Amino acid sequence: MVDLNDPVIRGYLKQLVGDEGLKMIENMPEGEVTDEKIAEETGVLLNIVRRTLFILNEYKLVVCRRERDTSSGWLTYLWRLDLSGIENRLEKERKKLIQNLEQRLEFEEGNVFFECPEGCLRLLFSEATNYHFLCPLCGEDLVAQDNSKTIENIRSRLNKLKKCG
Amino acid sequence: MEPEELALKVIKEHPEGIYQNQLWKEMNIDSRKCSRIVSKLLKKGLIIRESATSKGSRTYLLKSAEEPKPSYEMLLSGSMFSPCAGCRLACEPEFCEYLTEWIVKLDEEDETSQSEAQC
Repeated sequence: MVDLNDPVIRGYLKQLVGDEGLKMIENMPEGEVTDEKIAEETGVLLNIVRRTLFILNEYKLVVCRRERDTSSGWLTYLWRLDLSGIENRLEKERKKLIQNLEQRLEFEEGNVFFECPEGCLRLLFSEATNYHFLCPLCGEDLVAQDNSKTIENIRSRLNKLKKCG
Repeated sequence: MEPEELALKVIKEHPEGIYQNQLWKEMNIDSRKCSRIVSKLLKKGLIIRESATSKGSRTYLLKSAEEPKPSYEMLLSGSMFSPCAGCRLACEPEFCEYLTEWIVKLDEEDETSQSEAQC
């Protein structure tokens, strides 16, 4: 049984389907139901229900079955929530985040950055040179950015992420 | 909570295992009662037991029989989940503003934990 109050599960689902999608999941009727029935029971707009189901189906968190009406020939799509595979999905997300953080760490470690003291932007050393160390947006003098804390934070989190799988 | 459930909870809280002579002290019960509870948990296959020595006394090291589940809490930075999940944008981790936001929150998390430690 998946605990929808778990901050990780909640955070993940919210990231995938947004607040309204999460509301739909929380109030989803039991068993196989049509999208119209889900919209009716959960109070979520039908287009959002369809979008949410599409995303959940892509991530294999719902099961879909097609049924053909013998008289009209129309197809009915029946949906059932199945979050049993969520642990596998989280494992994939962990690996993806590790890969992207490693790439980011390499970039942060291998470059020198300059930033606008007014918070307009951050530039690579080569870009700052092109702008004569002046902010292209507000004209302020650019200052060297110390990104050692960022590097330390990324490295520390990477170590923890590698251990928790 | 039943004593058996409580004992199992305490054992699970120690992934490296807990000495039996430490368990009864933590549960505030006597060693005989603890031994009976441990026997029941062993019989049900909920824990495993290894002979051990703690502070010169012979005792047992108790561990949960259940494999510890991986925790994915590290995907959260503050309350923000990894922005890479479900992302459909062209992946550029070097410049991604969402990933930057997530990394900035790591710093806030660090400061919060430091101030909590000071409290």
